[in-house]
Formats: sequence, structure tokens, C-alpha cells
Amino acid sequence: MMLQEGPVQLLCLTANSGVPLFTRGSSKQLPFSVMGSLNGVHMFGAGQGISLLSCDTGGGGKVVWKVFKDSLMLIAVSAGQRSQSSHTEEEVYLQRLLENVWGCMVLVLGQDELVTVRNVERLKRDLRACFSLIDLLLEERHQGIMGNLTHCADSLLPPNPALLQETVAGFAQAADSEYGCLVIHGRIAATTEKWSHLMPQEVVLLLALMQTLSKSGSSSCDYPVFLPQGSPTVALRLLRFQLLPGANVCVLCGPTPSLQRAESDLRQCWSPVVDSLRDTLAVGERCLPSSVSVRQDVLSLMLINRDTHRSVSCVQALSNQPDSSLPSRARCWELLKVFYIFSTTRYFHQESSSPEEQSQSSSGDFVQGFSHQPLQCYLVTEECKCYGLQTDQHQLFLLFPLSVPTYVLRSVANQTLSHLVASTGF
Amino acid sequence: MASGSSTQSLVISKQRKDENESEKVDGKSDGESSYCSSDDLEPEWLDDIQKNGELFYLELSEGEEELALTRATNHQVSTNHVRFSDKEAEVITDQRKKKCNGSRTKGTATLKKLAKMLRRKHRSALRKDVPASILKNQPGQYQGGTVQKQLKEVCVYLNPKRLSASSVPLFEDGGLLEALLGVIHRPSWDSEGMRQEDKLTVHGLVPNSPAAKCGDILIGDVLVAVDDVDVNSENIERVLSCIPGPTQVRLTLETLIPLNRARADDAFEARRMKSSPPVSQLVRLLWGDDTAELQMSIEHIPHIVMYLSLKLDSASPQDEEEILYQYPASEASRQLKGVRGIFLTLCDMLENVTGGQILSSSLLLGKQLVHVGYWKENNNLLVIGLPAERVPLLYLQTVLGDVVRTLKMMYNSLDSAFLVADHAPRLDHFFCLFFQQLIQPSRLTEGHAAPPQDASGTLFLDGLPAVRWLTLPPEIKMEVDTLLSDFESSDFGEMSEDYFGLRRMYVILGSCLFYKSYLIANHLPKEDLLDISLYCQHYLLLPLSWEQRVGQLVVWREVFPQQRATAAPGFNTPQGRYFLLIVGLRHFLQCVLLEAGGCASPAVGCPGPDSVYVDQVKATLLQLEELEGGIEERLSAPAAPCLSCADWFLPSSSSTRDRLDSLASSSPVLSKLVKGSHSSGHRGRNLFGEKSRKPSPQRSLSDSGSEGLDGGFGMSRNRGLSPHSTPDSGRRLGTRRDSLGSGGSEGSGGSTLLFKSPRMKHPNPFYLGTLKKTLTEKETEEMYNTMKLSSGAENSLFHFLLMDSVRGVFIAPSHRDVSQLSGSIHPQLIRNFHHCCLSIRDAFRQSLPAKARRASSRPQRTGWGLGPVKEHGVLFQCKPQNWTDQKKPAPTMTYWVIGRMLLEPVPQEFYVCFHDSVPEVPVEMAFRLSFGLDL
Repeated sequence: MMLQEGPVQLLCLTANSGVPLFTRGSSKQLPFSVMGSLNGVHMFGAGQGISLLSCDTGGGGKVVWKVFKDSLMLIAVSAGQRSQSSHTEEEVYLQRLLENVWGCMVLVLGQDELVTVRNVERLKRDLRACFSLIDLLLEERHQGIMGNLTHCADSLLPPNPALLQETVAGFAQAADSEYGCLVIHGRIAATTEKWSHLMPQEVVLLLALMQTLSKSGSSSCDYPVFLPQGSPTVALRLLRFQLLPGANVCVLCGPTPSLQRAESDLRQCWSPVVDSLRDTLAVGERCLPSSVSVRQDVLSLMLINRDTHRSVSCVQALSNQPDSSLPSRARCWELLKVFYIFSTTRYFHQESSSPEEQSQSSSGDFVQGFSHQPLQCYLVTEECKCYGLQTDQHQLFLLFPLSVPTYVLRSVANQTLSHLVASTGF
Repeated sequence: MASGSSTQSLVISKQRKDENESEKVDGKSDGESSYCSSDDLEPEWLDDIQKNGELFYLELSEGEEELALTRATNHQVSTNHVRFSDKEAEVITDQRKKKCNGSRTKGTATLKKLAKMLRRKHRSALRKDVPASILKNQPGQYQGGTVQKQLKEVCVYLNPKRLSASSVPLFEDGGLLEALLGVIHRPSWDSEGMRQEDKLTVHGLVPNSPAAKCGDILIGDVLVAVDDVDVNSENIERVLSCIPGPTQVRLTLETLIPLNRARADDAFEARRMKSSPPVSQLVRLLWGDDTAELQMSIEHIPHIVMYLSLKLDSASPQDEEEILYQYPASEASRQLKGVRGIFLTLCDMLENVTGGQILSSSLLLGKQLVHVGYWKENNNLLVIGLPAERVPLLYLQTVLGDVVRTLKMMYNSLDSAFLVADHAPRLDHFFCLFFQQLIQPSRLTEGHAAPPQDASGTLFLDGLPAVRWLTLPPEIKMEVDTLLSDFESSDFGEMSEDYFGLRRMYVILGSCLFYKSYLIANHLPKEDLLDISLYCQHYLLLPLSWEQRVGQLVVWREVFPQQRATAAPGFNTPQGRYFLLIVGLRHFLQCVLLEAGGCASPAVGCPGPDSVYVDQVKATLLQLEELEGGIEERLSAPAAPCLSCADWFLPSSSSTRDRLDSLASSSPVLSKLVKGSHSSGHRGRNLFGEKSRKPSPQRSLSDSGSEGLDGGFGMSRNRGLSPHSTPDSGRRLGTRRDSLGSGGSEGSGGSTLLFKSPRMKHPNPFYLGTLKKTLTEKETEEMYNTMKLSSGAENSLFHFLLMDSVRGVFIAPSHRDVSQLSGSIHPQLIRNFHHCCLSIRDAFRQSLPAKARRASSRPQRTGWGLGPVKEHGVLFQCKPQNWTDQKKPAPTMTYWVIGRMLLEPVPQEFYVCFHDSVPEVPVEMAFRLSFGLDL
């Protein structure tokens, strides 16, 4: 076995010549011959009019191929065992990963450079700029960020949304931009109106980029970005400023203004709302203001707004003594992700994926097979109970401890949904 | 040829038979004596035994044949064809005669003994379709001379394949016209030796040829067209040679008729043209007649099976030498065959990369998604490619596992199945059946009373490691079991060792009995039962016995039951060989597993079926026929538990209610149900909003715990409120089960509180049938009346399925129950139910213990992202189709499909589908299913 337990191994090659551009992920690289074969089988199939999509092996191993714009091929290899998810779940995860990796390559380098490869060596060098972002995507598994998977931007609901929204709008206006966003703990707290016109995947990638940029420790930066769908060939400027630790604001703008000029507006705009910011920061990973109560027996929840492509997710800190029978926080996040994939691959409509895209994934055909519309579903496992429901506007996924009787799950879920929507307007 | 290939044993058995004819008749029922009145005659199937001893012999029953015949006769009577009617009468007498003396009349058109699935032996008996004779009055273009000529159309069934395989001496002069069609035409020559005549006048008919048998082609007729293509002596050979495979062709003939008969009503006749074929697709497929045509109809759907060698000998670079076996050889598999290199490379490489054997891969062929499943054995690789729309990836492994298991059961190992060249035609047929069932299941049951099976339903039900079980009233069950046990003991008559003072030839290990595709008795261990049912499923024997009265079916072959082949040494001696004997009569099908070697004398060579054993099975079946009335009554009895039709819950039309009432008046049980739904009909309409629900007593319990947002319901409180729905009730089930099992008395363990219909339950799944207490009639009646699974006034259960993994059986509403609940939504709902069950079962399978898995011997993962799943439910919403009323929104109906798996005390799986109105606790339903039904 060549792959050690660890994250997914990611290979990037040029599609027509098969020159390896980079590999990320596992500490131990696959031998060159294996990389050649993985690429070779796909190329051979393409020559025969067959495109190879994915491959399962015993023990949960999985290989997924994808060619982007006929120029670059991305291959994700996961060794199994490490992640105990079934093939379908693993496949969706890897598919999303490849899309995101391609997206962030475009985000950083622009589509032109990736599609028309003139100098392979130079491209290899340029691609290094994406590595930190790609590594973040690869490691992302256990964090409380769902957007990479759902393509619905993670959000945080501030206690006083109107005030922050006004401030963001004011700041963006001062910076001659229509796209501004306040990011708290890597989640969207407030945006300008136009921000919602960005594609969901772009927002998710921008959030990831913000996270890598803020890791650098600088209080502000000016970074050129291409939007994978909105402007894949023309670079925009992403201006990022740190307001407080964990609180960042960013604007997307053209050649003007300069970073210094925007920074000068910063203090003027944001100093009046520092207290609000602190309140918002205090919301933390719960993502919901303390005024909004969630029943104690909900272990974790994720609410997706299907119109705005935003999501709120949280794992509740259980007030009582840590019970050994309850899954840990990290496990809750993982369960929530797996349950999301489980529900969307089998029953629910997956957000922001076109029907064409669904039919291309090897499991998309299953959802089409139902003659009636699935509305809700639940699972009872040995660790917890999961409940998912979908309405025209929302999707809600909940985890309960085993002690909650199965027959109340539905009413709790319905009440939780209506309560959340009524009290936050999400 | 049979006696040449048959073995010593067969000869001995015949000897015995001759000597002891009278005793046997006395010893067995009179049913047998009437059937086997001619013991000195060879059995009909004797000629069909293969060189290796295998036999597959299928003959339709008189009922089926007469049905076809009546159809034909009706045609004749109503069309005033005096000329042909006496011919028909002749056929009928022929038929009767054959049936009376039981002798073999070769070449009778209606005798369907073309069991040529394994071999294309010459047989002159060409099947003909119903002669759809048409008189067309066309005095126009073909009219000539003074006598009025008329055109008629005759349909004949031609099979060019038979031609090539046959040993019929080639007709040198007549060519295909004579060889294929059987029309003798002697061209006249003029003085210069040139062919003079252009017209194809029929100068004679070849006996037993299609032309002769159809009876409508007369000497003197002129063949003018084949399938609307004008023919003459110049082009007839070319036209006939274009017929690719077995097919029905329409011949147009010019005939001389008396003038008064020329006034046939054209339109009237034309309607009759479409005569349905007398034999269903299914039977034709089994006979192996029409595989070419069926295969052609799925040409556009990519599918393939290949057996590839992983050891490539580079020294001999022959083309395609790595392909050890491949099917089909048509366009459908071309592309997939082209990329076999991918499969080989992936199989070779991925094991090193990810540390696991390759299981499957997904490919995109143009727009079509194809899943490919792999099975590696030794140095060879079995690859099966199937379209994703037919087989979801979730279920590919199950399908593949079943095929492999069936093949192993038949041939011991994949290598021995694929590497023997002789097996190729059989495997072709095997995989033809396989793909037909998966890709176009509806085609097989076309035009028959059998319920149309949807793809998901077939997939799900066939994939279950269980056989469909029919619960019988105890007294009938007891008789059935006694009969089977008597047979299995084989200590009487010719089967006993004392009789001849010889070692017996076979030990009967056990048998199982199917009636109309339902298992009604099983005396076999589970694994053997599953092996046999897989075989029966694969060869469509079960649907066959459901939809068609089988005149006679005899299947014999050596098998390699997986459990026994791989079992640790112990009871079974390793040199024992196993044989499967399946005998079908009417709707009954009995499968017997025999062992040679061990206690019985060892088998030498490839023994064919022994007629003693076949006759004994037949005798058993004939005795069982006396019980057919009772079984049929059980089948037609209203479903227990009662089912509702989905359409009743949609207030779409008032006629529904009327229909319901009329239905109810005919059945007391239904009327009870209707009353229920009447009283709550209004309520049902308002149920969709959860708030407006009028709580049933049980509901109020649950609501009290969950109402009030900030209430933070303590779980202990809830447990106290509704004791029967706590999540840990699986444990409680165990204790209750035990108490029931030990006592066997009704209502023990305090279950009366929970179950309206406590029934006794026998803990031992096998051999206890005869011990079962007979319930009094009154009790039985009560049971039927209380067999309502859901609580509340309204019966909300739509469908259910309960599988007992230990016994390998499942129960579900019978086809008839389902068809009685006719409606437009209900079939959709059941299709949806099955599709959903595919998903639920996939979730369960991840947590099944390894030995409970049917197919796999390969290592499986231990966990799943969500951990072992115990229960899974999905809520669906349906709307009536074609809702035309623009003003009102379409009414909706919501229902649950819930699956639950119990591992303790016995692995069981439940799948239920019920209306949303009563929030059933599925656990409770499951309990009732398992206890309330007489499984």
C-alpha cells in the first residue's frame, strides 16, 4: 500500500501531455509510474470516447478523475480506512474537492494561464502560489466550515445585523466598491447587497482565501483575484483589513483606491461599531446570537437557505457533564457533513449543482429515480439520530442524542426550523 | 441419443421401474396412476438430457396451449374460412391424443418442448404462430385470366438459425425457399434451358416445414410477397437470406377461390391481423429461441460481461487473447470492450495504491453513465458493465455478488465456468437472461397477468438474501410439510434401500416448494435455499410458475452449494456430489437437493436425472394439488394485515369513494376498512399541516413531550409516557421473543398490551411446521379481523416487507393484494417504496455483520461515516398527476417509508410504507409485523 493514512492525495497534470504539475496531500508521494498509469488510463479512455469518472476499491479507497477546460487534469486518491465513509459519501467529497481546487487555481492565477499552457516549468512555479490555499482545502475535513462541501457560504448571525450591514455598505462605498463583506471567524456576518450576486462557490473560495491571508498575521493586504465564474480572465483586487482578531472586512475593487486610502477610511467607518463587533465575535462558533435559543437536545444543526446560498451551522456545547455516550464536537461536525452528503446524494436536491453536474457524478442518477418527492428523512445510528428536512426555501439538518425518542424528531425539527426562521429571518 | 449418454444408474432405474410398476401405482395416490399410466414409456424429457447429464425441459400445460388454440379457433370460426376449419379440428384432436396417452408426439406444432437452451439440437418441430389468415379481395393488379384470384396473407414463423444447426439434407434445388420455408417450387424451363416462369407457384410442401404446418399455404398458390416485398423466382433467395434471426414473416399469396367467397370484409379482417403470440416472451427466452431479437432491442444500451486474464503472455501477441469470455458480441459492448485495458490496469494498479481490491468504477459513454463492477478470482477478472439508470451504484455490488454466487453454484468456480469452451453457449444464454432481467424487465412479462415489475422492485426483491414467503393456514401448512417430509424420508417404494438391497443412489438433503413463485415450504438450510432461489430467479422459473401453468418442468444439474463446498470437514464428506432436481407441475415448483456419495452410492461420471426420483417428486406435487384450493383461497383472501390504497387518501374525485364502497360491499374486511376511512375521511384532508392534526391517543403522548419549545423535554419523562416506543426497545424485543419462544403460548410476556393480535410464534424456523398447533376457525377469523397494523381508526399502511435473515425468507403483500388496490398513485408509490428500500438497505448493509452478507467473501470495511444504521426513514410527498384545476392547488399526500434493522435476537429487516396521518412508531409496527404475522 503506497498511500499512508492521511489526507487525500491530489495530483495535477496537464491533460494532453500528462506532465505532472504538482502533487499535494499525503506526505509520501505516489511513485511516478503510478501517477503515469492513473493519468494513462484516463487518457486511453478519452481516446475511445469514454471518460473515466471514478473508481472504488475495497476498504473505502477511492480515485476520482476530472479534466478542467481540456487543459488540466486533477486526480484525487483517497486510501480509505482513514475516513470511514462509504463510497458515495467519499466520492461527493472528492468531487467537491477537485472543483474547489480548480476554482482556487483560477482564483489565484486566472483562467488564461491555466488553459493555454505555454511554458510548463513556469506554470509549475506559478502554481506554488495556490499551495497554501489547496492545503487548507485538503485539511479542511474536521473544521467547522461546511461551505467547501455545500457550496453555501457559512454565515454567522450577528445580534444586530442591520447596524453591521450599514457599516459594511458605508465602508464599501468609501472604497469605491460594490462588493464588501464582514467576516467573523471565517464566516460571513454582513455583506453589501451586491455581494450576494457572486457565485456561491466564489464566495466560499474567497472566504478560504481570506483565512489563509489572515494567517499571515498582517493587518491588511491587497491581493489580486480572478473570480472563477464572474471574471475568470480579468483580475480584481481583494482588499482585506483586520478589524479585531477574528474579525476581518474585505472589499473587491478595481484599480482604485489604493490600499492606504482605503485603510484611512477604515477607522472612521468601524470605530463606532466596535462594541457590536465584539458582541458578534462573542457569538463564536455557535453562529447564532444568544437571543435565539435552540433546544438543548439538538447536538448540532445546519440550516441552509436555498435562495441566498448561505448556511448556518453549529455544534452546541452541552451544558451538562461531558457524556461519554455522546459524540465529541469534532465527531459531530463530521457526522453533520456525512449526513449532509448522505441526504443530498440520495434524496434532496443538492444546492448549486446543475442537473448536468449531478448526472455526471456516479450517484446523481439515484435521486432522479424517485417518482415522488422526498421531503424529510431520518437516520438512527449507534451514535446519534439525524434528521433532515427540505422545504422550498430551506434545508435543515439536525443531530440528536440517542435518548431523544424517534417519534418526536419530526416535530422538533419542524419547530426548530420555524423558530429559527422567525427569530432570525435567515 | 439419451440412452447413449445416460449412465448405468439410469438403466438400473428403468429396470426397477418395469418390475415394480403395479406396486408403485398402488403405493402412491391415484393422481399419479392417472398421470403415469404408461410406465413402460420413456419420460418425455429423456431425449433432452445433455451429455453431461444436465436437463432443462419445459413444456407448457394444456391450459396454456388450449388458450392459445382457442384464440386461434375463434379466429377461424368467425372468419368463415371453411377451408381451414377442418384443419384446425385436426390439430385439436392431435393435441388431445397426445395428452391422453402421454406419449411423445414429435413435431406437433403446439407441443412446446423446445428446451434447447443449452444445445441446438435438430428438431423439426418449428413453432408457428397463430395462423392469422387474411383474405383480401383485391381484384385489381393481380387479377388475370377468367378465374378470380385473391390475395391472402399468411404468417409463418421462420428460424434461419435452426437451419444451420439442422441435419436436414440441403435442398439443392429449392434453396432457402425449400429449406427454410418448406415451399417446393420447380421452375419450368423453356427449350433453351432458361428459366421461363417468373411466378413462384407452390408446387409442393415439405412435411413438417413452417409452410406445411401453418395450413394456409396450398399447392397451386403463388407467392407474391414476403413482408410486403414483392418476390419472384429471381429474388426470392436473396429476400429469404436477409432474414437475420428467428422471426415471424408475412407471406402474401395469390390463390384461386370460388367467387362467392371473395366477399370478405377487408376492414374486419384487418383488425384480426394482430394476433398475439401464443407464447410469452418469457417462455421464448427460456427456450432460448428468441434471444437474438431480444438482444437486439437493447443494443443501444451499453452493457457487457467479460472474463479477462490478468496474466498476459507477451510472447504471443495475439489479438484479444486476454478475453477468455465475452457477451454480448454486439454493438452494445463494442466500446466497453475497447477499453478493457483500463479495467486490467486499474485492477492491477489500485491494489497497491489504496490497499484494497478494485470494486467498481464509473464511466461516461457519451451521455450515458455506466458502472463497471469487478470480481477478481485467482488470476482472472470478471468485469460486468451496466447502465447506471438501471442499476444504481449502491446496488451494483449486490447484483455482481449474486451473479458470481449463481455461477459458482452452477460451476463450482468462475474459472471452471468460463474456461471450459463447451460452456460458452450456455453462458451466453445465462447472461442473456441476466441482462434482459436487468435492462428490460417489463419486456419479459409483456401481455400477461403477472404484475408489471419495475426495475427498482426487481432489483430490490431479487437482491434480498431471502425468498418470498407465503403464510398458509396451519392445517394446510401441516399437510404440505408432511407431504414433503414423507418424500424426503425416501424410505418407501423404490426409493428405500431395502427394496433392492442396493445402496440408494442419492440422499435427499432437503427440498423446498414454491407455489406461484411464493415459497410455501422449505426443508433446506438457509444457504442452500438461497443458492437454489438464486438459480430459480436467474432462470425466471418463479415468474414462470406464477404466470403460466407449467405442463411439465424438469431441471437436473450438478450443483456446488456454496455452504457445503466451502464448509469445514464434518458431517459432509468432501467427495460428496450434489445435484439439483427441480420439477414443476402447474403452479407448483419443487426443488430437491440430492447428495451422491456419502451415505449414498458415489456418482460416476455425469449421471442424468433418475426417473424414479423425478416421478416421486411429481407424485408429491400431484398430491399437493389437492391442497391447491386451500392455497389459492389463502392467496385470494384479503391481505393480512390490511392495506390501504394510496389513492384513497387523495381527495381527488368523488368516484374514488364510490368505488371504495362498491368494493367494500363485496368484502367484509374491506368494509371495515372503509368505515374507518369514512369516519376520518375529512380528517385525512386536513392532516397535511401538522398543527391541525387531531391527535390520536398515542400521538398526544408524544406531543405532550415535544410541545412547547423551551420545555426541554427530559428523556426519562418521555420514556415513562410512551413505554412502547423507546429507542432501546430492541433489547426488550429480545426478552419478549424468548418468552414467546419457550412457551409458544399466545399473549405471553404481556404483549397483549401492545398487540391487538397476539399470535403464537415458533422459535425454531425449521421442521416445526408439522408440530404447529391448529388454530380453531374462530381464532383465525378473529385474527383476520384484527390484523390491522397501524393504530387509530384509519388504516394507514400501504405496503410492507419483513425479512428474516436467519430463515432467508421475507413476506410482503402478495401480487394479488397489490393488484386489488388498484389505483393510479398506488403503483407509483410501490415503485417509490422499492427505490427507497434500495437506499435504506444500502445504509443497513454497511453495518451488517460480515457473515450475514449474502454475496461477498471479500473483506469489507468495518465502519461507515455515520456508524451502523439501525433505522432509516424518508418522508415522501405525492401529487396526483395531470392536475387540471388551475384555481386550487393540487392536493398532496405524504407518506413515510421506513426501514429498521434488528440484529438481536435474530437479524431481521423491516420496511414499511404508511400514510403520514398517524405518526406510527415504526418500532411498534415492526413488532406487530414480526409477531402478528405467521412467519
